[in-house]
Amino acid sequence: MPTRVVVTGMGLVTCLGSGVASNWEALEAGRSGIGPITLFDTTRFATRIAGEVRGNFDPQGFIPEKELRRLDRFQQFALVAGAEAMKDSGLECPPANPFRYGIVIGSGMGGLGTIESGLEVFRIKGPKGSHPLMIPKVVANLAPGLLSIKYGFKGPNFALVNACTSGASAIGEAYLMIQSGRVDAIITGGTEAVVTEFSVSCFNALRALSTRNGDPERASRPFDKDRDGFVIAEGAGIMLLESLPHATNRGARIYGEVIGYGATGDAYHVVMPDPEGEGAYQAMKLALEDANLDPGKIDYINAHGTGTELNDIMETRAIKRLFGKAAYSVSLSGTKSMTGHMIGAAGSVEAIYCLLTMAKSVIPPTINLDNPDPECDLNYTPLQAAPRKVEYALTNSFAFGGQNASLVFRGLG
Amino acid sequence: MDEVEKKVVDLIAEVLVDVNKENIEPGSKIVEDLGAESLDIYDMIALLEDEFGLEIKDEDVEKIQTVRDVANFIKAARAAS
Repeated sequence: MPTRVVVTGMGLVTCLGSGVASNWEALEAGRSGIGPITLFDTTRFATRIAGEVRGNFDPQGFIPEKELRRLDRFQQFALVAGAEAMKDSGLECPPANPFRYGIVIGSGMGGLGTIESGLEVFRIKGPKGSHPLMIPKVVANLAPGLLSIKYGFKGPNFALVNACTSGASAIGEAYLMIQSGRVDAIITGGTEAVVTEFSVSCFNALRALSTRNGDPERASRPFDKDRDGFVIAEGAGIMLLESLPHATNRGARIYGEVIGYGATGDAYHVVMPDPEGEGAYQAMKLALEDANLDPGKIDYINAHGTGTELNDIMETRAIKRLFGKAAYSVSLSGTKSMTGHMIGAAGSVEAIYCLLTMAKSVIPPTINLDNPDPECDLNYTPLQAAPRKVEYALTNSFAFGGQNASLVFRGLG
Repeated sequence: MDEVEKKVVDLIAEVLVDVNKENIEPGSKIVEDLGAESLDIYDMIALLEDEFGLEIKDEDVEKIQTVRDVANFIKAARAAS
């Protein structure tokens, strides 16, 4: 039997709030975190709204103030969410046998904001104007690197770059590493901070973003026929995974178990998903096979649900194909309706939302689902949260580039 | 401390995460006393160059040990320009 893998610590930084508790409160209330962009001047932009992490996202002061200037925003998010997860886990750090402890963090674009501001100075001042902190602030692998310095984890340490699937892929790969017996515990998840002027302009060029600027809280509309693109957001979701024996030996509180992971590539298009959802279907199928679970056992799916026509219809088709009749009895939600799309952090934040859903026996809603797309006819838990006991939950993440990952979790029951 | 020294202290304190401004004196040695490492030094050079609008060459850095040395270098560079 492969080693069982459990979740023992969780941390969140999103536009819904800093911390797991504030996120859950907003999810349960169906509160949107989308608002006008304040991080840059949007005057000439088609899209002027986003899911920004607002105000002081480090209320517990996990990062000393003087360190902030040395860290890109994606690294700050990872450190704050990571600190919440580690504090939550109660794991003593540094661990006695540090090489058995790894870190895998996903990020789609790393320190893009630092590249943007650094390049501006470079264009004016030339090569002499480049700052020595640029490289450590830009590279995606400094998110796991910084966490390793903080917690003394010396085992496998890497970043995983997989666009919108980065966070889910990181958790999946971390799960496999523990399952294989290679490590005892891993800090994993995703982080992203690309509400930047260049990034938003580029997503606008792809016509991917909602331009419902006058009504930000209603802009992210997964599965609704009046959707007009996704809403870009930022944040991080970090968790501590442990082998079951490692967790029980130290008397850790266990939130749930990772029991399945499926990963595929569409081999189809640079930004469009395969409209038939073959890759998405196979990712879910593989994850369920890995979990040794019939589709009918799944109570809840946290959908990728971006609020783009291409995704929502494809994902619904793939679920219907795999689940058959059971597709109509499973509860779904598109929590991006509240959080927006955190790109490389989305998959890990939504994995944590699955664990919370199981713990609380409440399905978070898909808000703004006023007029469902006729092709999207499943139970997406429209508008309001709904009570339901959830033993098994699945979460989907699909990326530009055709990367798909599905994760299956078991609650404590 | 004169104005230049005060500004230098401010910048060094900004760079060195573990050092309080109150503990930096004109005679403090930047590496030995304050614990600066190479990345900190490069960071300080970039900030000082920005603040005082001058260039600090790597060979100049080798001659600098204390906070006062930095301030004196800046004053000399200003006087020469």
